Amino acid sequence: MNDLDTLPKIFLEHATKFGPHKIALREKDRGVWKSLTWLDYEEKVRCLSLFLVSMGFQPGDKVALLGENKPEVYWAELAAQAACGTAVGIFSDCGPGEVKFFINHADVSFIFAHDQEQVDKILEIKAETPQLKRVVYWDPRGLWNYKDPILLSIDHALEIGRQYGNEHPHLFEQLVAQGRSEDIAVIVFTSGTTGTPKAAMLSHKGLIVSAKSFAQIDDYQSTDNYLSFVPVAWITEQVIGIAGSIVSGFIVNFPESAETVTENIREIGARILFYSPRQWESINRMVQSKMLDSSWLKRTIYNLFLPVVYKAGDRNLAKKKQGVTLKVLHGLAQWLVFRGLRDNLGLSHLRDGYTAGSAVSPEIIRYFQAIGINIKQIYGSSEMGLVTAHRNRDIRPETSGQPIPGAEVKLSETGEILTRNEGMFVGYYKDEAASTKKFREGWYCSGDYGYIDEQGHLIVIDRMEDLRSLEGGKKFSPQYLEVRLRFSPYIKEVLVVGSEERDSACCLVNIDLDNVGRWAEAHRIAYTTFADLSQKDEILQLIKNEIQKVNSLVPEESRLKRFLNMAKELDADEAELTRTRKLRRAFLEQRYQNLIEALYSGQNEIEVETLVEYRDGRKGSLKRAIKVCALS
Amino acid sequence: MESMKLLEVKGISLDFGGHRALSDVTCHVSDGEILGLIGPNGAGKTCVLNCATMFYKPHLGQVFFQGKDITGYKTHQIADLGIARTFQNIELFSGLTVLENLMVGRHIRMKAGTTACSLYFGRARAEEIRHREVVEDIIDLLEMEAIRNKKVGSLPYGQRKRVDLGRALAMEPKLLLLDEPLAGMNVEEKEDMVRFVMDVYELKKTSIILVEHDMGVVMDLVHRLVVLDFGVKIADGPPERIKQDEGVIKAYLGSSAAEHGTKTL
Repeated sequence: MNDLDTLPKIFLEHATKFGPHKIALREKDRGVWKSLTWLDYEEKVRCLSLFLVSMGFQPGDKVALLGENKPEVYWAELAAQAACGTAVGIFSDCGPGEVKFFINHADVSFIFAHDQEQVDKILEIKAETPQLKRVVYWDPRGLWNYKDPILLSIDHALEIGRQYGNEHPHLFEQLVAQGRSEDIAVIVFTSGTTGTPKAAMLSHKGLIVSAKSFAQIDDYQSTDNYLSFVPVAWITEQVIGIAGSIVSGFIVNFPESAETVTENIREIGARILFYSPRQWESINRMVQSKMLDSSWLKRTIYNLFLPVVYKAGDRNLAKKKQGVTLKVLHGLAQWLVFRGLRDNLGLSHLRDGYTAGSAVSPEIIRYFQAIGINIKQIYGSSEMGLVTAHRNRDIRPETSGQPIPGAEVKLSETGEILTRNEGMFVGYYKDEAASTKKFREGWYCSGDYGYIDEQGHLIVIDRMEDLRSLEGGKKFSPQYLEVRLRFSPYIKEVLVVGSEERDSACCLVNIDLDNVGRWAEAHRIAYTTFADLSQKDEILQLIKNEIQKVNSLVPEESRLKRFLNMAKELDADEAELTRTRKLRRAFLEQRYQNLIEALYSGQNEIEVETLVEYRDGRKGSLKRAIKVCALS
Repeated sequence: MESMKLLEVKGISLDFGGHRALSDVTCHVSDGEILGLIGPNGAGKTCVLNCATMFYKPHLGQVFFQGKDITGYKTHQIADLGIARTFQNIELFSGLTVLENLMVGRHIRMKAGTTACSLYFGRARAEEIRHREVVEDIIDLLEMEAIRNKKVGSLPYGQRKRVDLGRALAMEPKLLLLDEPLAGMNVEEKEDMVRFVMDVYELKKTSIILVEHDMGVVMDLVHRLVVLDFGVKIADGPPERIKQDEGVIKAYLGSSAAEHGTKTL
């Protein structure tokens, strides 16, 4: 087994073993699930790999993947790795400027792009990316009349590769055999919560170790169905999705489009899937708001049985036994409500649901565990790989679980989380100095503040630099409050502020337009725009009640004292959020300085002019009064 | 070099009681051409479409399709010829799903009889699968995956317009008549719709007659324009020329603007 030390080697081994008898990838296209066996999969990877080589691809060259999750992304990544190259994932919603930065920073010479939208971005920046050799697209819609010689369709590329293969038999096998385990398989960009993203390099060895750890913890079977949905630019999709499917041989399923995911999961009965915290939150929000909309009878039954499953769930999580009455009630609840609910969400077959990336409210984990959906938290980052994870039957909502095999965690004297992990990155691409700075005596300094409980579970509180102290030195964590506030269906984003010059913490709320709008309709409150809705007295009262709920759970000194509703939504296109939808705190605090001042100045209202950048690049401004609300 | 005339209306006139809606209108659309049909409200644009599809019967004049006189044909015969249209006030089956509405568009291409279809057996089955594939291609083209199984009645206006276009496409027409496809849409929906129309044209080179009020879109999209005013054709030519045409400016903006010559369309 030792010679199977790169992903392409394992891939070839599995392709030979499974051949035409087992499905590798499945994609819903034109309304039908279309399957690709391991034999077909190997053929695609082989041809694309040979295509790259025929175009002058050298070992160590980089291939960028720019598109939504589709089988083609998997082929392209493996094709690059088989030719001893590196795959670079780029978020498909990046603008041309960001794409240019990623391409140039990582010296990308080939791009696999999804469709017209992505191709347009590349053509726009082509003049400034001279190292770019070819752009291969797989969705030809709208591209029929594009004549740029740099472009070609994936079918054409496959054909070129096939012919090259005929002329050079066994070349593919030779290339794969040349791969070494310490080669860089993937470059993953950090999310860039602080400054520009950095390019973390991951080796084959690291990916394989991590993928095997997960396969071992959660006992992946080659018959399991995995749903590929989080972008390949994320470390989790790289480890669990791509490396995981190659190591464990499970079936990877690709949804038809982002809007049809729920329906698609239900059709395939996914066993393993990964959602970002925001996606779990939005499912929870959707259930809550649909319940508000449903008939009186359904709502009553749901509300009647929710405490029952919560109680049973909590006893389960605490590993306590359930009494007979609870068991009976729990069974009834499942039969009446929650079996149907899980089915509706498409999650009735789910065995391993993961979340990671940023903090998730313990309430979210409690909720899903209670309704019978096994959601588990993972802790990790682009640099340190995946470090800890919840084990089945040992899930604590407030923790991130224990280290996975091959990883270790300890705390520095200041409470910073230090990790050591076989699946860790090799360094930042073209930035040796920054990589060395991240290590202390062989341990990687995560920059996260947290602690380890008596059972060895890691609890992550916040980023070290985001920890704030208030006047008088009382420490508090904005993120701790934010994740709990976001459990409310009416709060989509929230920024908690406070510093040493201030006596208390306050927050800026980005209301959830759908749910608040629905609530407003139900209560006969007329509104025009987001800005208008956000400043309605009734809505402020609604948000106030939601914040009071969270306030009652935290110690006196870190309670929020005042808040305001922002008149516009936070937007990744304006760099207010990262592409993974984390708050860019420093930027936000500077941008909304006037709002923050207003929170502390005792004003009841503030006149603001907000600059907005539209998607087509035009700029405009919104002027309106924003009300400040005090919390008792 | 004159390319082949696909549809030609020759000297058609149409009366409603004493009101003359069209008088002696002659125009044509060539193979592979996008023709814009514009004019102020009540100019008779939709009437031309209705006459071309024999939805109204013109009192005078003739209509030719691929050189053949089709005046007096029944509407289903027109559909058989390969002329499909969308409607200004969307005419879909609101109780059926998007998929079913599109399948209805395939009806004229279906051969199997009622009994075979109800039994879903043999040739009928194979045929239905083939038609479904065509429909799925259209769903993909118009990005309707997420609403495939939704009832049309429950969809917002912009999406219904899309379904309407989809159903016309399902007939695999040689000529597509679009009656105000952008009316009542917001900017984003308009952009999507224009992109779909362009995709359809680029992919299938279907000839299109476009009736539309949004001048920006019309000028960008069409190869040639025909302008109507009070049922009379007042101009015919490429967009650049129509923009400068005095008669047209007068019809749209009133006579004083035309005299000052300061404004163009």
